[in-house]
Amino acid sequence: MSSIPHDHAAGHGEAHEEHAHHPGGIMRWITTTNHKDIGTLYLWFSFIMFIAGGTLALTIRSELFHPGMQLVDPEFFNSLTTLHGLIMIFGAIMPAAVGFANWQVPLMIGAPDMAFARLNNWSFWLLPFAASLLISSFFVPGGAAAGGWTLYAPLSVQAGMGMDMTIFAIHIMGASSIMGSINIITTILNLRAPGMTLMKMPLFVWTWLITAYLLIAVMPVLAGTVTMLLTDRHFGTSFFNAAGGGDPVMFQHIFWFFGHPEVYIMILPAFGIVSTILPTFSRKPLFGYASMVYATASIAILSFLVWAHHMFTVGMPAAGQLFFMYMTMLIAVPTGVKVFNWLATMWKGSMTFETPMLFAIGFIFLFTMGGFTGLVLAITPVDIQLQDTYYVVAHFHYVLVAGSLFAFFGGIYYWLPKWSGKMYDETLGKWHFWLSMIFFNVTFFPMHFLGLAGMPRRVADYPAQFTDWNEVATIGAFGFGLSQILFLFIVLKALRFGAPAPARPWEGAETLEWTLPSPPPYHTFETPPVVT
Amino acid sequence: METQLRTEEAKRAQRSASLRTALILASIAVVFFGGIIATQFTGGNAVGIGVLGFAIIGLLLVTVGRKLRGDNAKMSSKTSGK
Repeated sequence: MSSIPHDHAAGHGEAHEEHAHHPGGIMRWITTTNHKDIGTLYLWFSFIMFIAGGTLALTIRSELFHPGMQLVDPEFFNSLTTLHGLIMIFGAIMPAAVGFANWQVPLMIGAPDMAFARLNNWSFWLLPFAASLLISSFFVPGGAAAGGWTLYAPLSVQAGMGMDMTIFAIHIMGASSIMGSINIITTILNLRAPGMTLMKMPLFVWTWLITAYLLIAVMPVLAGTVTMLLTDRHFGTSFFNAAGGGDPVMFQHIFWFFGHPEVYIMILPAFGIVSTILPTFSRKPLFGYASMVYATASIAILSFLVWAHHMFTVGMPAAGQLFFMYMTMLIAVPTGVKVFNWLATMWKGSMTFETPMLFAIGFIFLFTMGGFTGLVLAITPVDIQLQDTYYVVAHFHYVLVAGSLFAFFGGIYYWLPKWSGKMYDETLGKWHFWLSMIFFNVTFFPMHFLGLAGMPRRVADYPAQFTDWNEVATIGAFGFGLSQILFLFIVLKALRFGAPAPARPWEGAETLEWTLPSPPPYHTFETPPVVT
Repeated sequence: METQLRTEEAKRAQRSASLRTALILASIAVVFFGGIIATQFTGGNAVGIGVLGFAIIGLLLVTVGRKLRGDNAKMSSKTSGK
């Protein structure tokens, strides 16, 4: 975007004063239809869920500190791993990404708000009910769902009332995601500022456009699957019940048809954030913008063709194994294009290393490691050896924690000055990065060794030979958890005592939101800017 | 006054365009939700592939049709402008 000939501050002035009347206190947040308020709600909700899911993770790691049973019984341990996965995926990572979209998409494309503001409010307020349903399932007879976040049949057909609550929670969260996606796509397609063609959109907007399409394609599939599970449980059908002629393996196929694109739903917005941060702190335009767009679209399309790599040990014809192995490897090509472009963006740039940049670089380093272990797991004979071991646990945490979460941390530090009008403490931010980076690796790197040595996942007890690396991982997990308390402190300190942020605190930042004052007025771009 | 009317008209047009987009997207979601259950219910993959095929072809037909109609409208407005 070369220039924006529009005086935004003046553009808001009087009009803003007129429309700035909105309810105060709690009613502001319950009734709000403003994309910035709803973005804030999403981000706080996701942080609360991150703490909840993190607490479950620390309980899991405490139990695994030593072999033998310490704190919880095995059934409850299974519930912990199940709910940890569900809460982190549906409660923390996805809502955080939607929070970024709510704040940033309208600001980056010069739209006054989301296309359907009331629907936006509804999309958010469904989530706390779904989360309550999920978490309260711990307290019902039979306990929470314990069959893993994948809810595989026949375990999920036989489980207690907690499974019904989980199914309803997934329905509600799915509905929220679909409504949110419809809103995001419509906003991007119909509300862009004059002159902002699709190929002029910031990459963050592109990644969200593609993510939203993915969500619309796969969330209904998950909803359909858990609906069939529900009817199997209560209405006498036998979709997945082998005793009635159903096929439990079919559940796995359908689940992973949703599940693998879901991985990209969680990572593509992170790609967008990193692609925004890197050019800013390299003071260079993003290298290969068009190839980044095509690579993102390619990843999304390929993500529909690789689901059965999660099921190599279930059994399938050799041709099927080969197909899914090669398709999985093929995803490394567009992903490699992205990593190459990120590195090329930094190459010979005038780089500085503020906290968002540190998280972006940390993301590239660790996500690439997660990608490589993914390639290892793509090889069918290797996967058959490593299936359901801690190697897989290490792999997907490198992708989703060091991938999505690190990018989201970077995004928060990057846009917090814009959103709040306050600067965060840079020194503490760097401490947060380095502590997270070190403790993340202390936690998850040893899991590669545990997996290669044959330690299975989802077990509450293990042979003594695995003790050392489990102790290291548990110490790392507590360090990582405490580092996130520091993150909360940094954000609260910035909001309360932070120095005022200028309109454009990062000199290399060039997207539309930086033309607005910090914090932006309650209503922005009521007169659309003209992008040239 | 005239400017205000034009703005109102533009807003209405944008609103109905947004509604159309949303309805198409929602119908895709409904087809996927119903399609996966129908496939399993009938026990044949043909239903699923059929639903998906019809959905894709239907979407293409609608998209191409709208594009052609838009082009025709543009052409006729250009002709009348001359």
